[in-house]
Amino acid sequence: MAVVEQSQPQSVLAPSPKKQQISQSYWSLVWWKFKRNRVAVLGGALLLLSYITFVLIPEFVAPYGLQHTSAYVEAPPTKLHFVDAQGKFHLQPFVYGMEQKLDFKTRSRTYVEDTTKIYPVGLFVKGDAYKLFGLIPMDRHLYGVDQVANPDSIVLLMGSDALGRDWFTRVLYGGRLSLVIGLIGQILTLFFGMVLGVMSGFYGGTTDQVIQRTTEFISAIPNIPLFMALASAIPGYWPPLTVYFMLTIILSFVNWGGLARQVRGMILSLREREYVLAAQSAGASNSRLMFRHLLPGTMSHVIVIATLAIPSMILAETALSWLGLGIRPPLTSWGTLLQDAATVRAIHNTPWELWTVPFILLTILAYNMLGDGLRDALDPYAR
Amino acid sequence: MNELPSEPLVEVKDLRVEFDVRAGIVKAVDGLNMTIHRGKTLGVIGESGCGKSMTARAILNMIPKPGKITNGKILYHRRVQNNGHGQLDDNVELTQLDPDGKIIREIRGGEIGMIFQEPMSSLTPVYTAGTHINEAVSLHHLTPVRKVGDQLAEQVMAHKAVTKEEAREIAIAMLRRVGIPKPTERVDNYPHQLSGGQRQRVMIAIALSCEPAMLIADEPTTALDVSIEAQILDIMRELQNSVNMAIMFITHNLGVIASMAEEIVVMYMGKAVEQAKVVELFKDAKHPYTQALLRSIPKLGEKKEGNRLASISGMTPDPFNLPTGCVFHPRCPMFMPGKCDKIKPKWTKVGEDHWVSCLLYEEV
Repeated sequence: MAVVEQSQPQSVLAPSPKKQQISQSYWSLVWWKFKRNRVAVLGGALLLLSYITFVLIPEFVAPYGLQHTSAYVEAPPTKLHFVDAQGKFHLQPFVYGMEQKLDFKTRSRTYVEDTTKIYPVGLFVKGDAYKLFGLIPMDRHLYGVDQVANPDSIVLLMGSDALGRDWFTRVLYGGRLSLVIGLIGQILTLFFGMVLGVMSGFYGGTTDQVIQRTTEFISAIPNIPLFMALASAIPGYWPPLTVYFMLTIILSFVNWGGLARQVRGMILSLREREYVLAAQSAGASNSRLMFRHLLPGTMSHVIVIATLAIPSMILAETALSWLGLGIRPPLTSWGTLLQDAATVRAIHNTPWELWTVPFILLTILAYNMLGDGLRDALDPYAR
Repeated sequence: MNELPSEPLVEVKDLRVEFDVRAGIVKAVDGLNMTIHRGKTLGVIGESGCGKSMTARAILNMIPKPGKITNGKILYHRRVQNNGHGQLDDNVELTQLDPDGKIIREIRGGEIGMIFQEPMSSLTPVYTAGTHINEAVSLHHLTPVRKVGDQLAEQVMAHKAVTKEEAREIAIAMLRRVGIPKPTERVDNYPHQLSGGQRQRVMIAIALSCEPAMLIADEPTTALDVSIEAQILDIMRELQNSVNMAIMFITHNLGVIASMAEEIVVMYMGKAVEQAKVVELFKDAKHPYTQALLRSIPKLGEKKEGNRLASISGMTPDPFNLPTGCVFHPRCPMFMPGKCDKIKPKWTKVGEDHWVSCLLYEEV
């Protein structure tokens, strides 16, 4: 009992610094609620991981360069071994050398492992030279077989394509374009949608009419034909990278309408709040009222819409490229990879080319998990 | 109060504000005349919907959408600094200005500040108290902590950009001035972390940060409880004396107006019905509407068993079909048939600074 009585006055005299905060700020409440949602945290972590591996450092993660072709054409995934033919256990995993055999009857290639050749697979091995972040010259790769010591060797975790390129390497590089197009496209959509939406809601009248009717007009045209029409308007002689950026702009051009409408609806209710009047009476101009006082009020909503809309951007890119209207070789995106795998012959002979699909699925799933979690978290008072 | 000759600051002349809505035209303000003097407090009272707030918003040229100022003038006697050579007087017709133009934006907040009825919703929820005050200051390129009489310093400060630390200091100083406890902590608080009284103090701090020549207080204490109300009124009076600011005090609380204002305008259905010095109005109200208003507040010491508090009979008229003649006649206890429903009363002088618009005091 004496201990309890002693500790009580102490806690009153010296409250912990955290307890001095009277109430928590909005964002700390959001973070607190978001953290408790395991699925959303998982989605966020997956996305973070995929953006780091696919967008920032695919050169490092991939065992080969994007243009690294080999004699191993349409080879199935190589197996990693720990135990060799003699039954000896190796601590470091290794691959066997591969021998190509042509079956002249069926006109198909088969590969058999040559158990006499053992190539250890290591981490941080030397390979094709590249520049990390486009700046730092490097030649180390996350994993692989030392290409200087064993130039004959190859490790193909997901098989290879018709030019003998490592499919996993291609998936990594393809992810860069597909993920970035979703992000840039969404940023452009946000920009158009928010600016036009806030103007539409704030000014009303003619401005509102023009913007809303334009939105309706664009959304009345079926998406795929509109994409196709716009994409075919891009001249064929343009360099693939320019085509890529045009595609981004096209995707956001079609998508801004929905966001503009939602922002407009929110602005219509927010502009009647007294704080708008108060800011105006303090001398704030119309643009200040719109972008400093009204727009922040819509942010929690906009963030959720944006997160949930990025997957559709990625899918739209994939679909367009798959149709052959979007990104074209030599650029590699998940869409062009799917296009490679989209023939009956490919599915029969090289089914490992479908490895692209789980990556797309997982990314879309992660975005949806994150978006759902954000939607719940951004309304911290809702139960 | 000091007995300096009163100098007009804002003159409202025959102001008409009309709302063109689908059901017809609503005359929110219908031929209003009033003058606000420099450093003085003008009280405006009247029941809900009588055009008090619209008058205030017309002064700042902030009439909401379907509304329009259809007639009248609002003359603002602006005092501008003349490059360190004293002051220049400049008359601005506020109704003629572009509502999103540069001049009116300089006047709003910078020269005529305004505080609102609902402190709960008058602060943008995403910004801290400090950000709000700094916004007002930065909008008018002023640093409010000026020393009185230091004209030169004032000139230097007037267009100087302030650093982040200075801005924070300014905000803290303003919060301290309006009596917020622990201003160094409150400056970083968001509106939802402040109480109603604190928010209204922040509003006052914003309005005062640019030392305006006039403050429009639109029912500033209606949403607050009585003890906070008294504190807010004290702060306003105190600050008025220190910076010689005019106040247009809009309320429907007669007790508050009696302690704040020097002169009172009583409004009914968009018109001024009576104007007098505060003591005279409370002692010798002329207009039957003012008399009825005064009867409707309980008085201390007048204890009569069974007596109920008087209320004004009838309802406020339909704004689309205003009564003919005097708009108050259907509810007036002194209704004179054949006169009040036919003839519009004129603005008549009935005493020293005492004006009324009632046929009882006219020769007809």
